Amino acid sequence: MAEEKTDSKKKIRNITFRVLKATIKAVIVYALYFFLMQFLAPVSEFVPGFQQLVETFVIVYIVLMVLGTLTSGTIFQYFFNTAQSLYVMLYLLLSLNGGTLSVGFENVSLMVDLRLFLMIVILLSLLGLAKSVLQAVNFLNERAEYGRI
Amino acid sequence: MNVPIRMIGIATTFFWIFLIAFAASAVYSVKDLRFGFGEPQFTIAPTRGLLFSLPINIENRGYYSISSFYVTTEFSGADGSVIAKESTLLPIIPKGELVTVLHNMTLNLDDMLENNEQYLFSDSEMRIAASVGMNLAEILPAEASTNFSFPWGAPFNNLSFGHPQCTAFNSTHLTTRVSISFENHAAFDVAGKIKLKIYNDAGVLLGENETGFNVPQYSPYNGSFESYVPAAEITPSGHFEAYIVTSLFDYGPVVIPYG
Repeated sequence: MAEEKTDSKKKIRNITFRVLKATIKAVIVYALYFFLMQFLAPVSEFVPGFQQLVETFVIVYIVLMVLGTLTSGTIFQYFFNTAQSLYVMLYLLLSLNGGTLSVGFENVSLMVDLRLFLMIVILLSLLGLAKSVLQAVNFLNERAEYGRI
Repeated sequence: MNVPIRMIGIATTFFWIFLIAFAASAVYSVKDLRFGFGEPQFTIAPTRGLLFSLPINIENRGYYSISSFYVTTEFSGADGSVIAKESTLLPIIPKGELVTVLHNMTLNLDDMLENNEQYLFSDSEMRIAASVGMNLAEILPAEASTNFSFPWGAPFNNLSFGHPQCTAFNSTHLTTRVSISFENHAAFDVAGKIKLKIYNDAGVLLGENETGFNVPQYSPYNGSFESYVPAAEITPSGHFEAYIVTSLFDYGPVVIPYG
């Protein structure tokens, strides 16, 4: 009876810790987004829909990050981390139109070649993806080992 | 396995922070980039043509230098034919500096008139395609391009010759006076000479003469030719042939009937 109580207390403390961790992470990412948007504000004047594009990206990113943190200690954490890396890659690849952005206003057309930037982002995301896969393999490996013991 | 995974995580986080900080500061730097265009000027080029000069001021107050700054302009006629195309390249604009570059373009009027003589006699419009490109923070290529029309003022707009006015010179010849007028609508002065040949209705050359002119931009010109023609061969109708010679171009003959 006392052991069960200790277990449930541990679980509650663990969940509270995860929620707190997820909240702190989300607040940090949102604060970073808020800070960076001050720098990127001039772009919003020229590129219609830029703010919405970044907002959507940040919202989904935060949701996946929060889910990953809440499910930490389970295999789902690595699913969400993998999804996060894939999402960053695909979203940027699609929203940046393959790295070549073209904007037109009045009779002026502006073209920015972000292929190099996009390539670095994809490489970093692939690194994140590899990390998630390795973590998942390591997690399953450790569980199998502990199960055997 | 935990240590290598953690190292990958730390390295990835470090690179992400560096990339985001760089991207944000590079974009923010664009705000502090100022372009100014001076008064475009038309002058006569040493290589017999019209030199179009556009001073461009670039003030880079951003955090990064800009490399491979270029300006390209392409002049084309109303029919779409390319008249001239030039590029000006500036390898680097260091951060915190103001750089002035002169974009020059030479219009060869001889070539232009070969394609369309209306540039000489009728006001028209030219299409200008301009593009400005640069490598922001030296690694992010960006290009802005635009198209606009530019009014072309004809240097010999409304060129006309009056009917030959004849007065007796002697028993066999007449003094013929032909008036000439035009308006220089161009953005440059025209100076040179016009040679006029007078033919009767049978195509026989009656006489010829030439007159010099120096007409400032946007000014009219009125002058006259005097020549001696055989009284027996002059007819009430015929045609003139005018040859225009200037420091910018030679053109002729312009055939204008009279009578």
